[in-house]
Amino acid sequence: MMDMVLIAEMIGASVIGAILYTIIGIAPGTDETAVLAPVTLVLVLSGFEPIVILAFFISAIVAKKLTDSIPVAIAGIPGGVMSAPMVEHAMILKKHGMPELSIRKMASGSVIGTIIAVPMSLLLANLIAPLSGYITEYASQIFLGGAIFLALMTKNRWVALLSILPFAFLIQGLRIFYWEAEIVPADQTVFTSFFLGITIGPVILKLAELLSGKVRKNMPRYGMKDIALKRTPKTKGFPNPFKILTKKEIGTTSLSSVLGVLTFFMSPVGMTIFLGETLTSRIKDPVKKAARAISSMDGLTNAAYISGTLIPLIAIGLPLSPTAIGPGGALFNAPPVFTEENNLHHLLSMTDFIVATVIGSVIAIAITFYITMKYAQEICAFVFRFIPHEAMLGLFFGLVMMLAFMDAGIINIAGVLIVAIVAGLLHRKGVNYGVQFMTLYAAPWLVSLFI
Amino acid sequence: MENKSDHHSQNEYIEVWEDLVHIKDLILSLIICTVTTLGAYLLAPNDPPKPLIFGLIGAVIGFVVSSIIIKPKRNFRYLEGEEE
Repeated sequence: MMDMVLIAEMIGASVIGAILYTIIGIAPGTDETAVLAPVTLVLVLSGFEPIVILAFFISAIVAKKLTDSIPVAIAGIPGGVMSAPMVEHAMILKKHGMPELSIRKMASGSVIGTIIAVPMSLLLANLIAPLSGYITEYASQIFLGGAIFLALMTKNRWVALLSILPFAFLIQGLRIFYWEAEIVPADQTVFTSFFLGITIGPVILKLAELLSGKVRKNMPRYGMKDIALKRTPKTKGFPNPFKILTKKEIGTTSLSSVLGVLTFFMSPVGMTIFLGETLTSRIKDPVKKAARAISSMDGLTNAAYISGTLIPLIAIGLPLSPTAIGPGGALFNAPPVFTEENNLHHLLSMTDFIVATVIGSVIAIAITFYITMKYAQEICAFVFRFIPHEAMLGLFFGLVMMLAFMDAGIINIAGVLIVAIVAGLLHRKGVNYGVQFMTLYAAPWLVSLFI
Repeated sequence: MENKSDHHSQNEYIEVWEDLVHIKDLILSLIICTVTTLGAYLLAPNDPPKPLIFGLIGAVIGFVVSSIIIKPKRNFRYLEGEEE
């Protein structure tokens, strides 16, 4: 049985997670993995109760996903990698003078995504649990299938398809080099820093290009970015997501959330782009189309994140989804506290999972949804006025350097830079994150077929 | 939009990751954050998870320092008189 102290701790952790990630979510360009993984890792290693960490983590993702769409709506600046696909649609609403509407629709979409994802993930996890042995056995093949599928879905499908094998060789080649040179023990696989390298790829490529004077001269230059906000009246009372969205929007959002849960093992960014476009491609009116797209995309990212964390945790105990292996990685593997044989999957019961998830998500929705609806403008104004983009890039860059160093010492900083530059180039050629992440997961098995 | 008050001349900013930066400021910030983050990580007692916690604190310090010395490249204002 659970005692009151533990429940109080879970509530406390969830409140802190919600507040912290409400702020982080709004800051532009904050990658989910970069901001969630290190903090979770620190909590795990500091010896907090597993159930408290889970409540914190769920609260943090829900809050982060609720708020990272705010700068998109207000300024067309994505608050995270996941909200990047929404920029185009949010800009249409902004052009029509409706940034507030964007925020309401997105946040409501997030809430619906959460409400659908929590019970469905618990259910799906129970269905999958008996298959877990089988799934674990074929995880690599599933990831390769995912990479090929996502590659075929992109516009530049042949480039994307062609990139899978060479990219896998680059990643695995570096790992084998680390093992051979005895930089990393043979039972350890460098992962986090390569993952971050892919994420930061487009930025690193741009920075590398700045080293060339010729390129620097030809880059488009801009003056100060002008951001003007209309003051909007405060809404009274507690906002109701089911009233903010139209019936059709609730329908599409629910559908995309369900699909987001079912495809928990796929890259959420890839699925967001694919499903968001597919589900709205037949709507003619640009405003209606944009509103439908952003609400359903936000629902989907939320659902995909929650299910991607919960299902592998409950059913399998191995990080078999991009969310689990990225932002949630520390819940599965954080030696010496958690290992693949002894992590949340083994330590928590089904009741524990339900209690922690419900506490985390309810608190995050209560706090963050309320704050989002009431103070979106004030928070954005603060961030836009006082937080320079350079500092955000610097923070992220610093964290990547530290994690690169932590994974395999000074040489891995060079390794991560190589991965980042290649990933950035591929990204520019139309190979999206989804394909690259799936390739990263499939790399060990894929390369082992050839050597 | 024109900006006369800023110390940088006009149209000097480039776009990196969906927002505008000044190259020199960016390099400065990258150096500050890397030094504070990696520095704190390396200086921490070798007793996990201390290096990681120190590193995170270092990252936050670098972020705050960069935020103080670098000005955002945005002109932010409220549109008045258009309340619904």
